[in-house]
Amino acid sequence: MTSPILAGIETEYGLLVEGRGAEDQIDDSQQVIRSYPGHCFVGWDYRFESPRSDLRGFTQARLNYDPEDAKFDAGRHHRSDSEVRSDRVLPNGARLYNDHGHPEYSTPECLSLRELALHDKAGEIAVLRAAAAYSEHRGLDVRLYKNNTDFHGASYGTHESYLVPREIGYERLYRAVMPMLIARQILCGAGKVGSETGESAPFQLSQRADFFTESASVDTLFRRPVFNTRDEPHGDPEEWIRLHVIAGDANMMASCTARKVGLVKIALSLAGIGQAPVWEIPDPVRAFQKVSRDMTREFRVPLKGANWTVAYEIIDSYLSAYERLFAATDDPELLATCVECRSLCGALRNGEDVSSRIDWAAKLAMLQHYMEEEGTDWADPALRSFDLEYHNPDPAEGLYAALAEMGSVEPLPYEEDLLDRLSGNFEPTRALARGLAVSKFSDRLLGVSWASLIFRGGHEPMELYLPPDHSYPAQLEAAKSVEEFIEILRGA
Amino acid sequence: MMFDADRLTKPGAPTPAKKLGDDSGPSKPDVRKPEGGNELLKRMKKVDPDQDRQRSGE
Repeated sequence: MTSPILAGIETEYGLLVEGRGAEDQIDDSQQVIRSYPGHCFVGWDYRFESPRSDLRGFTQARLNYDPEDAKFDAGRHHRSDSEVRSDRVLPNGARLYNDHGHPEYSTPECLSLRELALHDKAGEIAVLRAAAAYSEHRGLDVRLYKNNTDFHGASYGTHESYLVPREIGYERLYRAVMPMLIARQILCGAGKVGSETGESAPFQLSQRADFFTESASVDTLFRRPVFNTRDEPHGDPEEWIRLHVIAGDANMMASCTARKVGLVKIALSLAGIGQAPVWEIPDPVRAFQKVSRDMTREFRVPLKGANWTVAYEIIDSYLSAYERLFAATDDPELLATCVECRSLCGALRNGEDVSSRIDWAAKLAMLQHYMEEEGTDWADPALRSFDLEYHNPDPAEGLYAALAEMGSVEPLPYEEDLLDRLSGNFEPTRALARGLAVSKFSDRLLGVSWASLIFRGGHEPMELYLPPDHSYPAQLEAAKSVEEFIEILRGA
Repeated sequence: MMFDADRLTKPGAPTPAKKLGDDSGPSKPDVRKPEGGNELLKRMKKVDPDQDRQRSGE
C-alpha cells in the first residue's frame, strides 16, 4: 500500500430551486454549475471513465436506473452528456459538475485526513457560491443540502475513493472492507429521521442504509450495494484499483469526515499486508440496516450461523490490529484515529453524551431538545425539516452551523483555511499539478481528467499522464511556461 | 495473524421506547415554532417546511 493512502470525496448536494421541481433539476443543477463565479477550466476529458466496469472482471451491459427519475425525464430532451454535466476544474484540482441533477463537488486527491476534511468543507463554499450566483441571475431562492436523502425515497451519494494496489484483488478487498463499512456508521453516520423503506424507525444512524439492496455490485443509481465494485482506477489499470465507497454519509463535522476515511484507510492498510480481521457476515445489507436502526446502542451484527457480535468489537479488532502492526512505522493520523475511535466506542457503550463529536448524535440531541421543548414526539413531521436544515451548508442559515456557533459541536474550520484550499493545494499530489495547470495555463489547456492533462502544442496536442502515486514538486508553481511546466512534470 | 470473530449469542436488547416513525415523506409539515433565545432555536423558527422531491443521485 502507498503510505499514506491517497483518497478523495465526492459529494452530491440536494438542490431546491424556488418554484421548480424534480423534473427541472437536471437543468437547474447544470445552470448552478455554469454559474460558478471563480476561475476554472471547462473541458473535462471523459476518456478514462468506465462506470460499468466491474472489479470482479466483467463489464455490466447497463446500469440500473431509478424508475421514478425516468418518469421525470419522459418527454424531455437533454443536451449532450458533457453539456449537461458542465464540468468545471478548479485551481485546487477539484471537479465541480452536475451529476444527475445534483451539484457535485469532488475534492482533489489528498494524502492526509486533515487536508481531505478541509477540502470537503471548502467544497461547501464552492457550491454555495455557484448557487448564489445562479440565484441572483434567476431571481429565485436556491437552497443546497449536504445530505443524502430527500425523505421521499430518493438518495444521492457521498462517495469516497481510495487508491489501492491492484494486486490486493477483489476478494481480499471485499472481505477486509465490508465489516468496517457496516460498523463505522456508529462513529460517523450523519443520522436520519424515520425510514424510507422496510420497517419503520424513529431515527437511524445512517442516511444511506435504507437504499442498499445488494451486498456488492457496480450500480450506484438504483439497487445500490453496500460494497461498490466499479472498476474505474483513474490510473494505470494494471497497477491500481480505485476503491469506490458509496456506503458513507455526507458529514457536516470535519472530524467525522476524517474519521470516516481514516477507518477505511485502517482496513485497507491491514488488507495490504493480509492481516485484516476476518468477520463472516452472511447478509451485509441486513447487518448495515440493523445497526443503523439500533437506538439501544448495542449495535448487534449477525454473523455466520447463530452467532453475532457488535459493531464495537468489529471496530476494535481493526484498531487493535493496526496499532500492533503499524505502531512504529506508519501514519500518525491513523494512529490518532485509533485512539479517538476507541474513546468514542467506550463513550457510546457507557451511554455517555457524544453529541459534540458525531453527526448522528448531534442531530439526535438537537431533535430531542426540540421535542422536549415542544412536548412533541417522533411522529412530528417537522423533525424531517430540521433534519434537512442540519445539512444546510450556509453558515448563516444551517442548523449544524448554529450548533457550532453555540459551542455544542466542534467549531467550524476557519474560513481562511477553506479559501486557501479552494484556491490551491498543500500536498504533493497530482491534484497540485492539475490545479496549477488550471490556475496558470488554462489558456493552453485542451483537456483535464483525474489522470492526465492535455495542452495545446505547437503542432499537435501534448498529453501528460499523471501517475497517482508520484510526488509532485512545489517548483511547478514557479514554472513560467507550459513547456517548463511539462519538463518539471516529466522529471517528477 | 487472523482473528476468530465468532461470538456466542447474548440476551436480546431492550426494545426502544418509541417506534413512531413512518415511511411517508412530509410535503408540507406543520412546523411549530419553539421558543428560546439561542441561535439554534432562532434558526429552527425560520425553517422552511417545504421539501420537494429530489432525483436519485449516482
